[in-house]
Amino acid sequence: MSASSFRTFIDVLERSGAITRITDDVSWDLEASAITMMAIETDDRIPVFESVQNRQSDTDARLVGDPYRGPQQRPWKWFSRAFDLPGGSGPAYYEGVIDRLREPIEPRIIPDTEAPCKEVIRTDDDASLLEFPWPYIHQGDGGRYATLTTLVAPDPDSEWGSWSRHRAMIHGASRASLLLLAGEQVPNHYYFNYELDDEPMPVALTIGAGPAVESTAEMWIPVGRSEVSFAGGLQESPVDLVRCETNDLAVPASAEVVIEGRVLPNERLHEGPFGDYFGYMNGPRRSMPILEVDAITHRSDPYVPFCVEGAGIGYGENSSSTFAVAASGPDATLGLRIAGFDVELAAPWPFTSRTVWVIAVDPAYPGVLHELANFIFTTWGMLHIDFFVFVDSDVNPLSPRAVIEAISLHADPSSDFHQFGVERMPKVPLNIYQTPDEKGSATVGTSKTKTSKAYIDACAGSDRPAQVVGDPDARKQARELLVEAGVPEAAFEPPNTIGGDR
Amino acid sequence: MTAFRNHIHFLRKTDDCCWLERPKSPSPQVLAGEALRANGPALRCTTADSRLDLVSGVYGGVDGLSRRSRYPWSRLGIGLGIDQEPEYVAVLEAVTELTDRVDEHGITYVERAATATDLSVRELGFPTPPDGTWPRLTLGLLSVGTDDGSYWTPIHGTVLDDETIRARVPDAITDRFARGGIVSVALGVPAEALAAAYHLTVTDGLSVPVEDRRVGSTVPVIPTSGGLVPSSSEVVIEAEIADQQPETRSEKREFWERIADSTTLTLDVTNVFTRDGAVVPFTPLDVPLSDDLQLVALALAAQLYDRVNSYWGVAPVEWLLLPASGRLGICVVSAKMLYAGFEWQLSNFLFSFSNCYDTVIIVDDEASPRDLGQVLADIWVKAHPSRDWLFSESDAPVARMPTYSREGTGARLYIDATWDPRWDEEYIAPQVSFTDSYPPNLRAAVRSSWAEFGFNTNPDGL
Repeated sequence: MSASSFRTFIDVLERSGAITRITDDVSWDLEASAITMMAIETDDRIPVFESVQNRQSDTDARLVGDPYRGPQQRPWKWFSRAFDLPGGSGPAYYEGVIDRLREPIEPRIIPDTEAPCKEVIRTDDDASLLEFPWPYIHQGDGGRYATLTTLVAPDPDSEWGSWSRHRAMIHGASRASLLLLAGEQVPNHYYFNYELDDEPMPVALTIGAGPAVESTAEMWIPVGRSEVSFAGGLQESPVDLVRCETNDLAVPASAEVVIEGRVLPNERLHEGPFGDYFGYMNGPRRSMPILEVDAITHRSDPYVPFCVEGAGIGYGENSSSTFAVAASGPDATLGLRIAGFDVELAAPWPFTSRTVWVIAVDPAYPGVLHELANFIFTTWGMLHIDFFVFVDSDVNPLSPRAVIEAISLHADPSSDFHQFGVERMPKVPLNIYQTPDEKGSATVGTSKTKTSKAYIDACAGSDRPAQVVGDPDARKQARELLVEAGVPEAAFEPPNTIGGDR
Repeated sequence: MTAFRNHIHFLRKTDDCCWLERPKSPSPQVLAGEALRANGPALRCTTADSRLDLVSGVYGGVDGLSRRSRYPWSRLGIGLGIDQEPEYVAVLEAVTELTDRVDEHGITYVERAATATDLSVRELGFPTPPDGTWPRLTLGLLSVGTDDGSYWTPIHGTVLDDETIRARVPDAITDRFARGGIVSVALGVPAEALAAAYHLTVTDGLSVPVEDRRVGSTVPVIPTSGGLVPSSSEVVIEAEIADQQPETRSEKREFWERIADSTTLTLDVTNVFTRDGAVVPFTPLDVPLSDDLQLVALALAAQLYDRVNSYWGVAPVEWLLLPASGRLGICVVSAKMLYAGFEWQLSNFLFSFSNCYDTVIIVDDEASPRDLGQVLADIWVKAHPSRDWLFSESDAPVARMPTYSREGTGARLYIDATWDPRWDEEYIAPQVSFTDSYPPNLRAAVRSSWAEFGFNTNPDGL
């Protein structure tokens, strides 16, 4: 039975010994995130902060530091348990997710009385963002942030709206600035429909919507399809929804917190600086659209999960990087297959998961890699991804050792590195390789200055050095002996080849 | 100087060497290959009979691609006696110093620890790889005695029968002996001796005897029929160079043979000496992270680090690394950017002094060799995809390690993942990390309460 809510996901973590409940008073002001950051850097348990200092309200909210973070060796491990999917190897997990995504299940509306997210209902002046202990995450951040969010917004092509992740910087009891970057579906609706018509866009910002909903909110779901239906497929049961108090949107009934409101047209508030997913503090402050709060509903003792953004760079794994490898990767693999490409597996580069992707592909005909890169750069990879690395179809993109070897040995600088134009592509202003002047503060959220994109053909064909010694039976025997001698079984992940090493 | 068995003992004491009774199946080579694949500890295969104990992963073992308490240079550094947690640059400098020329000899002669045995070389029990017919010895030290002194080089080969070894040695050493001459092969030697032999081989330094190198006065030695060998060697094999040298090539090569020319040498074993409970290193060949590859990576990095910091009158390079996972096709260098354009000068300097790699990655001087993960993020995040990925024309010699082409000319690439020295300070984005994102008093409080919070790990390494 899959975990269909944030609470049941926490139960999965608890049963796996992956959580530590901290009962000491901990402050939202850097302390909770410092502890979470340390847990990330040491690959330790996920902290639940039962008692948060400096609360400004009676709401007994608890913080959870990067709950979706998986172990560095197997980031998908907790998702595989939560969704009852194979978790022993990355490629097997990917195929399990892909099978689920092929069978979406429509959500269902349940009565308000059955919806945990309606246990407390506050509207108008009673609805205050300051009821919750939003963490101040990195010193130097522009403010306190809601980071692990799912924004539900209207979509003329989908009955259930469009669901995606956008962080919010808290500005007061009733206002926050939302990071909306043009090029993504919800921001496009806002900038090019609502704002042009001078209309506010009704939205619901949900916190703790559960692993399936939050996973599909990270995916690139085609126009006309609904993220929440794919979430149903992923968890093999309909997502229970409930209507909002102040607009027509439907939100996950099990959510910890639902913030209903409107994104105001032609008004802006500061957003940033923020320690971002690039692993650096991006700057300068920029102007972003305003979320005006109309109502807040929540569970009586809500969890407020948050992500220490930027900690998923390099060796570290946080919720964002885990979503990238455990949700976006399988989704991209499926999407590319549906688009007709012979892709074995597409996965983010583990050291910077939203900037570089590695794709194992059979280059069946001349030009296919260009077509593939062009397809992605112009669709879901437009804003964030700068590079693709293509490797042979049996090289495991989840193995950095295998990918580095492929780049090092098989990518010819004179013929295998391909740039797509020179500084003609859009880029998110969160990057650090452009100067603040180049990033500017464009009205729709992208950098003022364009950038370049590139792909690397690191396919070797048949001329690859050996990866292992001995036949599969002998290697299996060797692994068993080594495990008996104290080598952790997880240490053999990820194999260098898809299915081959083991 | 640390005797090989003490080196293994230290690894055991630091939980970086596991023991396993040598099984009938699979081959120790398979066990070692899987241990390397797992970034595992050094692996000692023990025996209760007269065969040697075998230990793999002694000189590297890990790839540096995940956060660990051990690094690719840790085990060699411990063997070199630097520290329990040796700094990378200290290892590079130690390797270089071992091969420095010395004006005065300081040879220390100590009695040979190994004693004569009736066992044949085949009965020593070298491991036979699953794809091989004969047992294979690897990571050996060849000593060739001459009137000028003794020369040390790497040696590996196969044991054809009770008294014949078909070996591979550097071509350059063949000038030092004649057919029918005697040489000695030492196994299980101190890390200084083996590291020096690899360094001399890949840096074309075999023309000077070890007595004139610092290693000659660092490692206590004993004369043998072949030449000087380390006194503490676990196994010493004296052999005559066979009259007939067949025109054969070994199926597998140690990694140094990709840099230095090598030749086949057939040896007729005359004497075998072993220590009680002898233990010798071995490695599978041609697989990722093998010990021979790690030794070459460190030797070459030591040479380049020394050269690049001896050139400009200042020492701008903090460290230089050839990741074993890239099989030496990529060079990473951390340096202070002395002036605009220095990154171009530095990368092309490095291309001038080694033809192994076609790619140089330059990172800022505050980058750590212990954090290769950050380097492998910065090349995409900090380096601008068009301005900082810089390719030469395709008229350069093709690099030696990549496999894409062996003929004609090729291009070179350097990736500048440093901050542009022309940028204003305000443009430089602060890094996000536990150290950089939180004030010292909070960091200290988190560390002190770490166990009370219910965490299991040790935060002190951060």
